[in-house]
Amino acid sequence: MIEAVLTGAVAGGTCIVFAGLGEIVAERSGVINLGTEGSMLCGALAAYAVGIETGSPWVGVVAGLVAGAVLACVHAVLVLHRGANQIAVGLVVSFLGIGVTALFGQDYVGQGVVPLETWDVPLLSKLPFLGPVLFQHDPLTYVSFLAVPALTWMIWRTRAGLVLRAAGEGPEVLEIYGTSARRVRWVALLTGGALAGVGGAQLATAATLNWSEQMTVGRGYVAVALVIFAGWQPIKLAGGAYLFAGAIALNLQLQARGWELSRYLLEALPYVTVLVVLALLSRRRIHGGPAALEKVFEG
Amino acid sequence: MTVLETTSDVEPEAPVPPGPEADDHHVAPTAAAQVQRHLRTALRWAVVIASTVAIFSAFLLAKGADPASVLESMWKTALGTPDSAGETFIRATPLLLAALAAAVPARAGLFNLGGEGQLLMGAIGAILVANQLDGGAGTWPTLVLMAAGGAALGALWAAIPAVLKVATRTNEAISSLLLNYIAGLVVTWLCFEPWKDPASLGQAYSRELTGPERFPIIWGQRVHAGIFVGLVAALVLWALLRWSTWGFKLRVLGGNPSAARRAGLAVGGLSIAAMVVGGAMAGLGGMIEVAGTEGRLRPELLAGYGFIGFLASWLARHDPLRCIGAAVVLGAIAVGGSGLKITAGLSGGAVNILMAVVLLAVLGWGGRKAEAAR
Amino acid sequence: MSRSIRAAALALGLALVAAGCGGSDTASSSDGGGGAKDDGTFTAGFIYVGPKDDFGYNQAAYEGSLAMKEAVGDVELLQAENVPETAESEQVMQNMIDKGADVIFATSYGHLEFAQNVAEKNPDVIFVHQGGLEGDNQLDNVGTYFGTVYEPVYLAGIAAGATSETGKLGYVYAFPIPQTLANINAFALGAQSVNPKATVTTISTGSWCDPSVQSQAVKTLLDQDVDVITQHQDCTKTIIEATEAAGAYSVGYHADASELAPKGWITGSEWNWGPLYTDIVETVKAGEFAESDYNGDFRVGLQTGDNPFVQSAYGSMVDDETKAKIDEAKQRFVDGGSPFEGPVLDQDGKEVYAEGEQPTYAEVETMDFFVKGVVGKIG
Repeated sequence: MIEAVLTGAVAGGTCIVFAGLGEIVAERSGVINLGTEGSMLCGALAAYAVGIETGSPWVGVVAGLVAGAVLACVHAVLVLHRGANQIAVGLVVSFLGIGVTALFGQDYVGQGVVPLETWDVPLLSKLPFLGPVLFQHDPLTYVSFLAVPALTWMIWRTRAGLVLRAAGEGPEVLEIYGTSARRVRWVALLTGGALAGVGGAQLATAATLNWSEQMTVGRGYVAVALVIFAGWQPIKLAGGAYLFAGAIALNLQLQARGWELSRYLLEALPYVTVLVVLALLSRRRIHGGPAALEKVFEG
Repeated sequence: MTVLETTSDVEPEAPVPPGPEADDHHVAPTAAAQVQRHLRTALRWAVVIASTVAIFSAFLLAKGADPASVLESMWKTALGTPDSAGETFIRATPLLLAALAAAVPARAGLFNLGGEGQLLMGAIGAILVANQLDGGAGTWPTLVLMAAGGAALGALWAAIPAVLKVATRTNEAISSLLLNYIAGLVVTWLCFEPWKDPASLGQAYSRELTGPERFPIIWGQRVHAGIFVGLVAALVLWALLRWSTWGFKLRVLGGNPSAARRAGLAVGGLSIAAMVVGGAMAGLGGMIEVAGTEGRLRPELLAGYGFIGFLASWLARHDPLRCIGAAVVLGAIAVGGSGLKITAGLSGGAVNILMAVVLLAVLGWGGRKAEAAR
Repeated sequence: MSRSIRAAALALGLALVAAGCGGSDTASSSDGGGGAKDDGTFTAGFIYVGPKDDFGYNQAAYEGSLAMKEAVGDVELLQAENVPETAESEQVMQNMIDKGADVIFATSYGHLEFAQNVAEKNPDVIFVHQGGLEGDNQLDNVGTYFGTVYEPVYLAGIAAGATSETGKLGYVYAFPIPQTLANINAFALGAQSVNPKATVTTISTGSWCDPSVQSQAVKTLLDQDVDVITQHQDCTKTIIEATEAAGAYSVGYHADASELAPKGWITGSEWNWGPLYTDIVETVKAGEFAESDYNGDFRVGLQTGDNPFVQSAYGSMVDDETKAKIDEAKQRFVDGGSPFEGPVLDQDGKEVYAEGEQPTYAEVETMDFFVKGVVGKIG
């Protein structure tokens, strides 16, 4: 059962990992983006629709990436150029994403898409336990495995990462590099939206082969919650996403085994888990977050 | 994380939360200046409305619908007849209380994204009280006790993120958001299990509230006295925030937490109080919805109202009186949405676009003023 | 701050003025037109709880409405999707009446009470509700209608039980509403009629449409050696695709999805609302609703010969012997039998319906237990 729960955790958590990594990039630059939910939906619909129209799931994924970034532009313009409140604008951007995808997604419900096929990694997928858990997924899942260490490295070991963190910590330092925080945040927000779009694309064209209205069912918001839970560290974010999806997988496993547990309790499990861990970890993180972000919350 | 230490408070690009007074100048206004300012406000709203209509129409055209007929139908549905205007007010009432639930914490610099869950908890609290009374009290005592029960449970639900915030610095926006999902599951559980109406013939909802447990209908067939409770709550809160010491302290806290701390304010207690009062408002909203409009607890009760209420609060810049107007505007859009569905055959979700565009226009505008003020 | 008072007062005032102006508008329009009734067009309104193109329950009802228009011809349609099962639906129905609706089809289970409320205020408009029971609130302008969906589900259960190699079937559902429970039980009883040891493992997703959880649910069931999967969800595609990809068998619901599962499609239950909708509208148009059977809890099934639920086509794995068994069971229902004819035992082995006993329609539609052989907990 452990193997099944962990496999489910990876399968269900991948779209959240992408969205969460994107949110880490955005928040590291000092901007929180609750529009992630909307970007995921736009990514999902764009990937699905373009996948159908072109017959190529990979073109679809690129479309999803672009769609997620386009929606993030709205957030960027309002927050970076009009000085609007990040939390409020983010929520509105999600509403916009829900509305736009509801309007234009009508024609694609029930249509068949060419799936992003599962691809077993040679040799590794044959490993006992680890094989099924990690190496029998769709290609985007492997991309997410690579993206986690890659982003960690980028944030801490590259000049781009330094600039990104500088935008979130002390924008005046950026002057030294001859750039402005606004420019960095633009790039960060677009990257964030694009990654959320890829997450949506993975959900629609690899994990579920489906498009339906609001098919993310709040996973974008969960991703934002997990970023704070993870202390803006990609590796912990991935852990959080798998924990969340693992709690869902556990619920399903226990139901299928006929456990006499209240299913409402089991359904609450993922949210309660994240909330409890968030509360337990928060104390240690007083100075963990980007300074500019703290200002958003602390006024 | 401390590679780049910074001590500066000045940060050119950081968005400034537009405080309630962000656009009020502290200069004695002359009559002419006042007129000018009113004109500017009017112009601003005209631009907001025009751009909203234009953008929404563009979306409709892209989808192949006729914007004129869609908008006309929405207008008629939302405000075209006395009955439909009544609907808008009924819809606006829980939105108003959800807006207040966000507005009070926002005054203290807190983000309450948990209005959704607090509304539901209020509905549960009200029915809990009604079940205890079991029709044993008159109309007004029953309603007052139900309101108290709803407000109490809403407050309790809001106290969770507030206490977590103070005790462990857990981000209240995120924790209150997560609590929405849990509250939703509690409602689903109650409807399907312990509170399921034995006379429901299979439907999953609680027993019907009747007689003294319901707000009297005051106008038409659905407009109930509960809408006044919302208006009174907004007035009382406005007065409290405006004139009480408590309101002043909240503003200080919201304006500059470290200054508040230096001034010796009990920041923790104030933060919790702000969230709790907000939660009580949402709880009251949940009570009004079950005792006024719905009459039962249902799984889909008030879905989405908490978020729209949060946005109404931002539309109103967290001023309780302006919240009334914001709730009416967003309520009208929501009610008009059914006209859009029926006439144009568009997905009901499309109304989210209209709501989003209005809010983006207003948020974008408000932000620039704040920026310009610096 | 006084500015904000004025701003709020202005907003409120504007709204009230608008309401007032609008008021006089409608007064005159209703004098003139009185809705569409007077000008000769007959209008039917349909409300759906979800998107009308969800490839499931709502789409089936939507297509039924189009088929009805096709058949009746002289009828205007008003459609509203995503109408929640809350008091908001009353406003939508009232709005349709203001636009001239003569009959309203409230197609979701939870719309019933609101339809009754609006019906009380609009005695001239006919309301028909899909799937509910009127209960104590009997109104002359309200009726309910439904078919016996559990009959084709039972028949599909026979095919599933005969096809399954492991004897383990899986059922993915949303919420434990009576309709779902009856379907699960019928499916289990059908399978057990050909394989007494057959079990049905159930998983609730807690949502009518959460594709990510659906795909996980399928994998979870497959882990339990389940080799036939069916469902009661609004969006069905993910489950069928995931089942097919794993090489397991699918039994469909709502619509024929055999093209999604060319290898594993066994059969399924589909909806065909057109004829029934057409007859209801014709009856209302002729002014004969009050005296008709539709003014009450109208139920059709195999016995009456016009069940709106039909069996989908069979996959190639269903052999002639099984088809014969299915036809036999079908004939039994046509002759007045029921899938739930006793003895029926619940999960704990307690007898619910005694030998030869049959539940009434109302009992089936308020079902609140799992039969023996179903794995899962309702609460």
